Amino acid sequence: MNRFIKDMKRYFAYAKFAARADLKAEVASSYLNWLWWVLDPLLFMMVYTFIAIVVFRSSVQYFPLFVFVGLTLWNFFNKTVIQSVKLVRNNSSIVSKVYVPKYILILQRMMVNGFKMLVSFGLIAIMLIIYRVPLTWNIIYMIPVMIVLALFTFGLSCIVLHFGVFVDDLYNVMNVVLRLMFYMSGIFYSIGTKLSEPYRSILLKCNPVSMLIESARRCMLYSSLPYRKLIVLWGVVSLLLCWIGVKTIYKYENSYVKVM
Amino acid sequence: MERENAIDVKDLHISYKCLKSFSIKRSLLQLKKTNTEVFEAVKGVSFSVKKGEILGIVGKNGSGKSTMLKAIAGIFSPDEGSIDLHGNSVSLLSIGVGFQKKLTGRENILLSGLLLGFSEEQVRAKMDEIINFAGLGKFIDMPVKTYSSGMYSKLAFSITAILEADIMLIDEVLSVGDAKFKKKSYNKMKELISNEDRTVVIVSHSSQQLQELCTSILWLHEGELRMQGETKEVLEAYEEFMS
Repeated sequence: MNRFIKDMKRYFAYAKFAARADLKAEVASSYLNWLWWVLDPLLFMMVYTFIAIVVFRSSVQYFPLFVFVGLTLWNFFNKTVIQSVKLVRNNSSIVSKVYVPKYILILQRMMVNGFKMLVSFGLIAIMLIIYRVPLTWNIIYMIPVMIVLALFTFGLSCIVLHFGVFVDDLYNVMNVVLRLMFYMSGIFYSIGTKLSEPYRSILLKCNPVSMLIESARRCMLYSSLPYRKLIVLWGVVSLLLCWIGVKTIYKYENSYVKVM
Repeated sequence: MERENAIDVKDLHISYKCLKSFSIKRSLLQLKKTNTEVFEAVKGVSFSVKKGEILGIVGKNGSGKSTMLKAIAGIFSPDEGSIDLHGNSVSLLSIGVGFQKKLTGRENILLSGLLLGFSEEQVRAKMDEIINFAGLGKFIDMPVKTYSSGMYSKLAFSITAILEADIMLIDEVLSVGDAKFKKKSYNKMKELISNEDRTVVIVSHSSQQLQELCTSILWLHEGELRMQGETKEVLEAYEEFMS
């Protein structure tokens, strides 16, 4: 634990700078530059809105926003986890030359994806105004929701990173698992109205991502309270996950180089 | 005057064993156990280096020299035995620590510096010196991907050489760049080494360089310590063995 705090202090600046460098590099090499950070979520929102409204005839209030909030949270989670699988391998030039706690690499990815999420939130703010969504103080609950999302993502990514080093085709497996999770997270449909019991409670209680997305929608769009008990519960579970993940990485990270 | 030890290595064993990564597909298709090969790169080496000493390591290819340096730098963990650095900071001088190819040289200096565990202010303070030493001219503000391989390694060398650590580990990088830079880096190396408080471990195949730089030599042969002692003595024995 002490070591974790010390390493965090020492390498946090690196993670921050490397994240900024990544974003800069991304912008430097594409024609539309940073516009993609806005366009990407916007276009995907249109795709899912089309499918849900035209194909499935869904009728949820503020539907584009409903999808957008879900996508924003999901993208952050999904990208960070899937990138963690090959993180050590992709950074072998760093890992084999200098010691760096491996979860710092995750932190860096989280910052990059977090920044993109912030751009999405900016768009959400604009859409909230356009749709004249009434806001209440419930929006403050977004803070714990985001903290739990970050903790859960970090914890899970640590564990995925560890196994990603040793298992070659974990990437394929994770792709399928995450796709399944995507459809189980109610991103373009409402778990509350489309599903019947027992699936409704199972998906909401056992899938933290869908619970967090639902909570975010409730407190931002529909002026109601999030699932407070579940947030606290999953917060504790996520902390535990982080603890296990960091401990595993510390124990085995020195042998990662030998595998590559 | 007795100087304290900077590096203590005790009974170091490092092996690359069954740590081959496996794939789920492969393990499903071949249910029988794959035979695990164990390759011991370093077999029970112990030595200590005093503060301010310059230790050269010689040995033929594949005798565990680089593996040992990586272990001292903390990139590998030893399978058995221990490495004690007495709290000194350590850096492994090698080519191209995590360069971001799309960024400029200047930004990469900062990035590598932070990665080596220095603070942003420390790196910024040394920035000009590094740029000067690398001597890349206007290329320093161009993306690293436009660099030639020589320029690339010049920049890498300058970063690690000027951001000084208590213990420097040098793995055959004394021959970087063109003749002019080679001379410059060699002189810089000598200057770094002449600092009384700095401990240096050099791996090299050039007996001549080692003769000039080192205070003592360690000879590794197939993962085992063959000889350790005065520069001249060990080098002579080594050369006789190799010829």
